[in-house]
Amino acid sequence: MSPSARVDAGKLLRVFLWLGATTYGGGQSAAIRREVVRRRRWLTDEEYLELRSIALIAPGPNSPNLALLIGLRLSGTIGAIVSYAAASLPSTIILLLLGALALDPHLPIVRAALRGCAAAAVGLTFANALELSALYKRQVPQLMIIAAAAAAALFGHLSLWATLLVFVPVSFALTARPARGSAPEGS
Amino acid sequence: MLWQLTLVFSILSVFSFGGGNATVPQMYADTVVRHHWITPAEFARFYALGKLAPGPTMTMGTLIGLAVAGIPGAIVATAALLIPAGAIVFILGRLWHRFREAPWRERLARAIGPVVLGLIWAAGVAIARGAVDDAATVAIAIVAGVVMLGTRLNQAVLMLAAGAVGALVLR
Repeated sequence: MSPSARVDAGKLLRVFLWLGATTYGGGQSAAIRREVVRRRRWLTDEEYLELRSIALIAPGPNSPNLALLIGLRLSGTIGAIVSYAAASLPSTIILLLLGALALDPHLPIVRAALRGCAAAAVGLTFANALELSALYKRQVPQLMIIAAAAAAALFGHLSLWATLLVFVPVSFALTARPARGSAPEGS
Repeated sequence: MLWQLTLVFSILSVFSFGGGNATVPQMYADTVVRHHWITPAEFARFYALGKLAPGPTMTMGTLIGLAVAGIPGAIVATAALLIPAGAIVFILGRLWHRFREAPWRERLARAIGPVVLGLIWAAGVAIARGAVDDAATVAIAIVAGVVMLGTRLNQAVLMLAAGAVGALVLR
């Protein structure tokens, strides 16, 4: 029997709405752990890590996935739906409000500001990629997979599913022994 | 149009392994190159707003839906991005007892890591096509990258600062 208590779906709704509106990218899973494991003690650390490992291998953004699995564990199907929606919707609504500004920016100053943001997003993305790639610095096969997957998507115009279908099995075969690097946590 | 949006984003949702960032190159291929729904510059702009808002970058699909078909497009794109992946997670969560001790589970998570990372590099190139086109934007991109590598600055703060710099120098 799991030690976790059943939690009211309304409480899950409030917690994940708040976390969804206030946390960013890679910090989200850590924020969920602080709230659900440490503050509210709804789950043990061991349970949290189990659910997180499922969230990491499943498709979809990691933190709403984690919210869904926590909701499912604590409050069944209703808890899963409520938690997933609550974790996903605040950011979508904030993005839509920002998007109303960005869709057709007539004001030159807004256009210029958005060009600045887009240029910075390029630097940000390469910085994240570089930082995560550095985790594999002593793992030559993994570095080759990183380069090959990037080249296949860019120059071979290989689709996302074909890239996954070709490279994940190769990568799986090369990950026989526990690797030193950890799986990156996308946002 | 709504049907095509649903199709494009549900397929992305099903294959959004590794957190969703890996879908960006395919999202670019589908919405910019294949369907010509938006321009490279719009794609880069929506991606940047995805970085500015809390939550996963993949949510930028909502803005593509908005650009293509207004509010109904935004709703359809959001639902198509969320529901297929959510259903798969739900099923995995239901079956989790069976995988509890499976040694391949952690190994699979590790195996996905480098592939996703390769696609994040490719995402950077896709965004650069619509975002970096003169000396000033190259300089902003380089400074932003160096700042991110050198400090623990919140990415939203970085994006706001870049917006302010852009408003001043890119007019």
